Amino acid sequence: MSLINRGFRNAFRNVIRTASITFILALSIAMSLIMLMSLKTVQAKIDEVKSSIGNTIVVSPAGIRGFEGGGELLTEIEVSKISALLNISKLSKILNARLTTDDTNLKSAIEAGSFGRRTRINGGGQTQVNADGDFTPPIMLTGTSDLSITSNLNVSQLEITQGEKFDAGSDQNVALLGKTIAEKNSLVVDSTFKAFGEDIKVAGIFEGGNTFANGSVLMPLKALQRLSDQVDQVSSLTVQTNSIDTLASVQTAIKAQLGDKADVISQQENAEEALQPLQNIKTISLYSLFGALVAGSIIIFLTMLMIVRERRREIGVLKAIGASNLKIVNQFVVESMVLTLMSSVVGMILGGIFNNPVLNVLAKNIKEPDLGSSFAGPGLGRAIVRIGSGLVPGVQDTLRNIQAAVGFDLILYGLLAAILIAVVGSALPAFLISKVRPAEVMRSE
Amino acid sequence: MLKVENLSKEFQSAGQKVVAVNQVSFEVPTGVFSVIIGKSGSGKSTLLALLGALDKPTSGSIKVDNEDIVKMGDKKLIQYRRKKIGFVFQNYNLIPNLSAVDNVILPMEFTGVSRSRRREKAAKLLAQVGITEDKFNRKPSRLSGGEQQRVAIARALANQPRLVLADEPTGNLDSATGEVIIKLLKHLAYTKDTTIIAVTHDDGIAREAKQIFHLQDGSLV
Repeated sequence: MSLINRGFRNAFRNVIRTASITFILALSIAMSLIMLMSLKTVQAKIDEVKSSIGNTIVVSPAGIRGFEGGGELLTEIEVSKISALLNISKLSKILNARLTTDDTNLKSAIEAGSFGRRTRINGGGQTQVNADGDFTPPIMLTGTSDLSITSNLNVSQLEITQGEKFDAGSDQNVALLGKTIAEKNSLVVDSTFKAFGEDIKVAGIFEGGNTFANGSVLMPLKALQRLSDQVDQVSSLTVQTNSIDTLASVQTAIKAQLGDKADVISQQENAEEALQPLQNIKTISLYSLFGALVAGSIIIFLTMLMIVRERRREIGVLKAIGASNLKIVNQFVVESMVLTLMSSVVGMILGGIFNNPVLNVLAKNIKEPDLGSSFAGPGLGRAIVRIGSGLVPGVQDTLRNIQAAVGFDLILYGLLAAILIAVVGSALPAFLISKVRPAEVMRSE
Repeated sequence: MLKVENLSKEFQSAGQKVVAVNQVSFEVPTGVFSVIIGKSGSGKSTLLALLGALDKPTSGSIKVDNEDIVKMGDKKLIQYRRKKIGFVFQNYNLIPNLSAVDNVILPMEFTGVSRSRRREKAAKLLAQVGITEDKFNRKPSRLSGGEQQRVAIARALANQPRLVLADEPTGNLDSATGEVIIKLLKHLAYTKDTTIIAVTHDDGIAREAKQIFHLQDGSLV
C-alpha cells in the first residue's frame, strides 16, 4: 500500500467527519470562487466601461455653445492635427445646422411652448411657422462623420426603426429622421424632403430615446457642410481615447494644439463616479476572497490539527517502525489534499450555481452614485446625465448585465486555491508531526 | 550482538532531576530470548526506548553489531530502526484502518522492498505467527487480542531485524494466550537468529528467558 493510497484511505476513516469537513470546506471554496469570478467579471466590466464610456473628450470652438455665443468654427486643418495625436481610438466630427421655414419644407415636430417663445423673444430669430401661422422651434440638423458615436448626436440612443443607416463618410443627400418629425411630415424611407434648396432622401427613421432627438435630422457631415455652405468647418469634435487612463494626457495634448481657440471638456469625473459602484463590488469581492481563503485554510488547518492530535500514538508507532518525518508528513498532506480536492469539486459546483445570484445581490446592494448634477456638453440640447436614466450610453448598463462566466482559468484558479489551502493547512500539523517523539508513545503504554 | 555500557538516562520532572536509567551495562548474544524484569517505574520502558533508538541517553553507549547507535545521526537512526529493530507493543499498536497483511507490509514499504515481494513476505510471516489466510485482510478491530499481537510480531519481523524489542507483549492478553505469544517469541529467536528483549513484570514470562535482567530504580540488580 503506497503512501498516496494510505493518505487517501485515511481521509475516509470517519465518513461522517469527512462529509462534514468536505461540506464546510466546499462552502469556503465556493465563496472563494464566487468572489474570484466577481472580481474578474467586475474588472472586465470596468475595463469595458473605461474603453467605451467616459473616455470621451468634447472639443468645441471657444465661445460657442450650440447656436449661442460667438466665435469661429473649427477647421479641418485643426481637426487633422488632433487626429494625429496618440491614444485616440475614434474621432467624430459634428456640424450643427438649423432649418427654418426658408430652408426646408419640413414642419417642426416640437411645439414652441413658453420656453421656445421666450427663446425667440430673446434673440432666437425667425425659425419655423406652423400650419396656423404660429411660431415653432427650428428643426435641428446634425451632420456627423461617425454614426457609431452617438453621444454627440443629441440622442440617447440611435435605434433604426425603418430603413438603414447612411454612410457617414459620404457626400450624398441622405438623412435619418427622428420618428416624430417623420410622422409629422408623413415621410417614409426613400421619400424626399427639401433642405437648403436640394432634395434629401430619407435613408432611415430612428428612435432617439427623447422628444428632442425624435424631432431632429441626421446627415453625413460632408453633405451638410456643402449644403449649409460651411465646407471644412466643424462645430464640435468628439474624441474617444483608447482608455480612460489616457484621457487626461490626450486632453492636455489637444489643448496644447488648439490653445485658446477651443474649449476642451472631458467626462472623466463622471465616468469615474459611474465606475464607483463597480469599484465597490471589486473591493468587497477582494476582501471576501481573502476572507474565504483564510477561512478555508483555518478549516483545513484545524481539521488536520485535530487529526494529527488524534493520531499522535499512530505517528509515534510509524516512527518506531522506521517511517521518516517526511513520509509521515506526506501521508497527512495527501489526506489533506484529498479532503480539499473533494471540497473543491463540490465548491466549484456550488460556485458555478451561485456565482451569478451572488453577483446580482452585490450589484443590487451597492448604492449607485448620485450623478444628478447635470453635465452639459456643448451641443444644443445636451441632456442631463444620470446613472440608470439611460441618457449616457454605456454608463447606465454598468450595474446591469453583469454576468459572470466560468472559464477554465477560473477552475484552474480554484484548484490552485485548494492546493494552497491544503498546503497551508497542513504546514503546522506537519511541524507537530515532526515533534512527536515515539518514546512518549511507549512511555504511555 | 548487543552491548550496553554505562547507560544512563536522566530527565527533569516537576523541576527535579529523575534518573530513569542509571549506569546500566549488559550484553545479549545473538538469537537469545532475554527479559528485563522490574516493577512499574523501574525504568524498563525507558531502557527499551533507548535500545530502540527512540530516545537519546544522557551518557553511555549501546552497540549493536559493534556499531554505537548513541553516536548515530538522525538519518542513520531511521535506517537503524527500519532494518535492525522490530517493536512489539503491549497495546499491539496496529494501524486500525489497514488490514493485517497491510500492517505487516508497512515496514517493508519504508525499506523499499518491491510491491510483489512485500505481499508474499507478509503472507509468509503471518502464516509463521499462526494467522490463517482468511484473516489476512481483516482489520485489527476484527481480530482477537492474541491475533493482533501475532500480527504485531509479524510486523516486527518484517525487515528481518537483528533485535526485537517487546514492551509487555502479554500485558493485555489472558495467561493462556500470553503463554502462546511468549513461546512464539522464543521460537522465533531460536529459528530466525533474532535477539529478543522483552520487558515485563511477569515472573512467569521471565522463567522462559535465557537471560534475565532485574531493574530496580533504574539500576540492574
